[in-house]
Amino acid sequence: MAAIVFDDFSYAYDGTTKALDGIRLEVAKGSFTVVAGPSGAGKTTLCLAACGAVPHYFGGSMAGAVRVAGVDTAAGSMGDIAAHVGTVLEDYESQLVTMTVAEEVAFTLENRGMKHETIARRIGEVLAQVGLAGLEDREVGALSGGQKQRLAIAAVLATRPGILVLDEPASALDPEGAEELYALLAGLNRETGMALLVVEHDLARVLAYADQMVVLAGGRVACQGRPEDVLPAMWRQPGLAAMVPPLWQIKLGLEEKLDESFAAWRNEEEAAAELGGFIAARRRGGEKSA
Amino acid sequence: MRRTAPLTKLAVVLLVSLWAMLLESAAALGAVAGLLLALFAASRVPAGSYKALGGLGLFALALAAMQYALGAEAEFSLVVGLRMATMTGLFILLLATTRVQDLTAALARQLRVPYEYAFMVTASLRFIPDLLTEIKAVQEAQACRGYAGGGSVTRRLKNYLTIVQPLVLRSVARSETMAMSMELRGFGTGRAGSYGTSIALGGRDYLALAALAAGTAGVVAARFYM
Ligand SMILES: Nc1ncnc2c1ncn2[C@@H]1O[C@H](COP(=O)(O)OP(=O)(O)OP(=O)(O)O)[C@@H](O)[C@H]1O
Ligand SMILES: [Mg+2]
Repeated sequence: MAAIVFDDFSYAYDGTTKALDGIRLEVAKGSFTVVAGPSGAGKTTLCLAACGAVPHYFGGSMAGAVRVAGVDTAAGSMGDIAAHVGTVLEDYESQLVTMTVAEEVAFTLENRGMKHETIARRIGEVLAQVGLAGLEDREVGALSGGQKQRLAIAAVLATRPGILVLDEPASALDPEGAEELYALLAGLNRETGMALLVVEHDLARVLAYADQMVVLAGGRVACQGRPEDVLPAMWRQPGLAAMVPPLWQIKLGLEEKLDESFAAWRNEEEAAAELGGFIAARRRGGEKSA
Repeated sequence: MRRTAPLTKLAVVLLVSLWAMLLESAAALGAVAGLLLALFAASRVPAGSYKALGGLGLFALALAAMQYALGAEAEFSLVVGLRMATMTGLFILLLATTRVQDLTAALARQLRVPYEYAFMVTASLRFIPDLLTEIKAVQEAQACRGYAGGGSVTRRLKNYLTIVQPLVLRSVARSETMAMSMELRGFGTGRAGSYGTSIALGGRDYLALAALAAGTAGVVAARFYM
């Protein structure tokens, strides 16, 4: 059973203009799925549909279905869905509801009826994971934007959800912070099999981890599949080529120029290794023919 | 008041506000205000709350002075100022000593307020400080652009509304997102939750509630039957 299934799902906030239009998408158990696309493409709406806020909170009209852990989101309540899915919204600041950092994490756990000793232990663990250790008693209002964003993520991670939906989780983080966050998420994804649905417009940040990429445009799926298939398809579309990570722009550009094909690079090291071997082979070939 | 249950604190706020509305002598209201100050002292609130309290005191004084200047009796002016200060001070005390989510939990679980409304109450409480900061930021931005803030009263009022309106709209939108995100985090799903220790009433709460009830009975009797 897949973690999240969009089954020909369409949705309009106002009943007429479709924010999502005929979405067919499957996020497998243990998948690291990344959603990208231009502003207004429907990425946030997709996240809201995955956690049941659409349609439960926004009303509007929908067609098709979304199933989370096998349950139809329109039939189950947001609370039922929340038992399977952890969600961090685009507007993470209004997701913070308590006065202090430790209370913020405790809030989610208290709602699950956890024991106080367990809560205290989890708070320490999860704050260390996101790099907020030692700030337990800090007032939430006194945190920086990036710290608030990490706190919102920690508060959701603390419940160890089987599925995690994150809408631009690194928007307030500096480059190192974003790198650390995605390394942490990828680690959890590998070790616990947590399925991820992440909106991230900077695909370079997730290139090393994503096993599925989805590009939305105008509420429809423009491309979808394994990164090694999606990135070349994006490269061929004028509107989407600029979203291809620089490393893959180099790869695809070189492949065109040299009429070669390289492996699906996940990071600079892999690229450097393959290109090094390629150059050495060429040089040997050149010496031989000379 | 930190170890007092949120429900008790809510009762204090509501009933003591009722006292402040019913009492008509400056001496009696002064006693209530004194009680409030004692509660502040006893609950070791953060320094920021004292600042708020100081500002409130000044505002109450100005209000009383204005009443007096407009021709009201001295005692009446004092009563109006003290009443306002007491009722607002109670809220400051509540906010300084209670976790917002405990308040929501108490409203929803113990008072059976529907979750949506409990959300709204606490969300607006949570955003008052944010709202004040934002108003200040907007005013500073306007000052930077050379806006002097002068002109006729209607013009000033209009200018003020142009600041406040988007802020109010934004905070309404925000509190909706907040209610949604609380639900996304499993609040109000009908599960038991483990607020137990933080919202349950203890012996001191029952004592306090009994004292409040007696006080309220006394104030009502004094107001209507004496
Ligand atoms: N609450 C709402 N009410 C009505 N329409 C909405 C609402 N939220 C979004 N929309 C519309 O739905 C469409 C998709 O919006 P959405 O927020 O999902 O885009 P997005 O891909 O997340 O954009 P961004 O990159 O700017 O975050 C847009 O046309 C937007 O105007
Ligand atoms: Mg968005």
